[in-house]
Amino acid sequence: MLARRADFGYEFHSGRSDQFQAYLAFLLFIAINLMFIGCAMPQRKWPQPGEHLPSRHELESVPFYPQKAFHCGPATLAMALAWSGIRADTDTVAPEVFTPSIKGSLQPAMIAAARRHGRIAYPISGPAAMLMEVSAGHPVVVLQNLGLSWKPAWHYAVVVGYDLDQGIVIVHSMNTPRKRLSLRVFENTWARSGHWGLLVLPPTRLPATATQHDFVSAVVGLEKAGQYQATVQGYKTALVRWPDSLGAHIGLGNSYYALGDKRSAEAAFRQASRRFPTNGSAFNNLAQVLWELGKHQEALEAARKAVKLGGPLVNRYRETLQQIQAGER
Amino acid sequence: MRTIRRLAKSVSLFVTVSMLSLVVPYQSCLAAVIGTETALDVARGQEARQYLEGVLAREDVQKALTAQGIDPKEAERRVEGLSNTEVVRLAKKVEELPAGGDALSAIIFAGLFVFVVLLVTDILGYTDVFPFVKKHARKKS
Repeated sequence: MLARRADFGYEFHSGRSDQFQAYLAFLLFIAINLMFIGCAMPQRKWPQPGEHLPSRHELESVPFYPQKAFHCGPATLAMALAWSGIRADTDTVAPEVFTPSIKGSLQPAMIAAARRHGRIAYPISGPAAMLMEVSAGHPVVVLQNLGLSWKPAWHYAVVVGYDLDQGIVIVHSMNTPRKRLSLRVFENTWARSGHWGLLVLPPTRLPATATQHDFVSAVVGLEKAGQYQATVQGYKTALVRWPDSLGAHIGLGNSYYALGDKRSAEAAFRQASRRFPTNGSAFNNLAQVLWELGKHQEALEAARKAVKLGGPLVNRYRETLQQIQAGER
Repeated sequence: MRTIRRLAKSVSLFVTVSMLSLVVPYQSCLAAVIGTETALDVARGQEARQYLEGVLAREDVQKALTAQGIDPKEAERRVEGLSNTEVVRLAKKVEELPAGGDALSAIIFAGLFVFVVLLVTDILGYTDVFPFVKKHARKKS
């Protein structure tokens, strides 16, 4: 018995001291709660309205689809797709994103499904980016945890507006169109997903917060999904903003090539090789297309140039050169 | 038994030929254009390498390296030994370092740069400067 007491490190007494301890425990409980509420105060992270951010904005053109049980993923994606000009409804999208065993839709499935419809899936993170996008007219799919961190209840919603003066975010959520949520509630539920947001955009539209790296990567993702008509537009959109994007030049050529439009591919690779005269890949791809177009002499020159430039892919360039030389003979 | 063998022979010949016919055009497919993702990755790696070489060539950085007892040439070789992904990660870390224009921040930058390079190469097992980095047993290559 004695040893056990020593373990606990304290002894219970009777009478007043008992009450005192209960009082102390209560104070501690309140203090801890206050501490957590303090952590969750959203105002610090949320940007103030300013020159680039109007204090309120609401999108009128995002349709609302009520969701069936657990189908918040398909419903939100269908809304975003419909806004972007794709005919989609919850039932057609559901088999593309919904995983019955987990009764939900995973984020990568949402991204992949958007791409399957020829749309650019552009993930964003954080309140500042989200507000910028909404004010630029882009609805944002957000992942919320409506439960607790240790007992999550994941939920997708579409942000269609905000009013910073009133401190509210407007979302299409579950069975309620234009639900007005206080910033505090929205922040608490959204923060638990790491402020995950997703834009679903037609490839001619650039996100307001786009960076060259992320946007070109998003179009590369679309290319992986085989949506070459869309990626031609996507890479062209990227080149308007960033004329010096190597990825967009090569990607444009590759997209045309995949579509069988070899003349346009040739033009794109030619421009890539002119803008990036030290990039072997541009010359290699140019050589391949020229060879397939029957311009053997030019193809040979481009292939030799690629091999001469070298780099980590030099063996691939050599293969192209050998293939062209073999075709010559 | 003999018929089985004869049969097996012709069947295997048929399978070999049909497999070859499958493989050969696919190989010439592989020799075609370089994919966008691959081209981008390689370009990003080369860019990062050039950036790091530029930083390593700076006089203050070389001084800081020498102060740590490392030959600048050796530091260059270590960076060369990194893979594409590793080099891109390292360049990103270095770019995030505070780098002001005045002399003091240049010295701080040089010191931090050396620290980051050594830390990353330590984690990857190329160097063994920091005892707090846990290293996995690695075969010497």
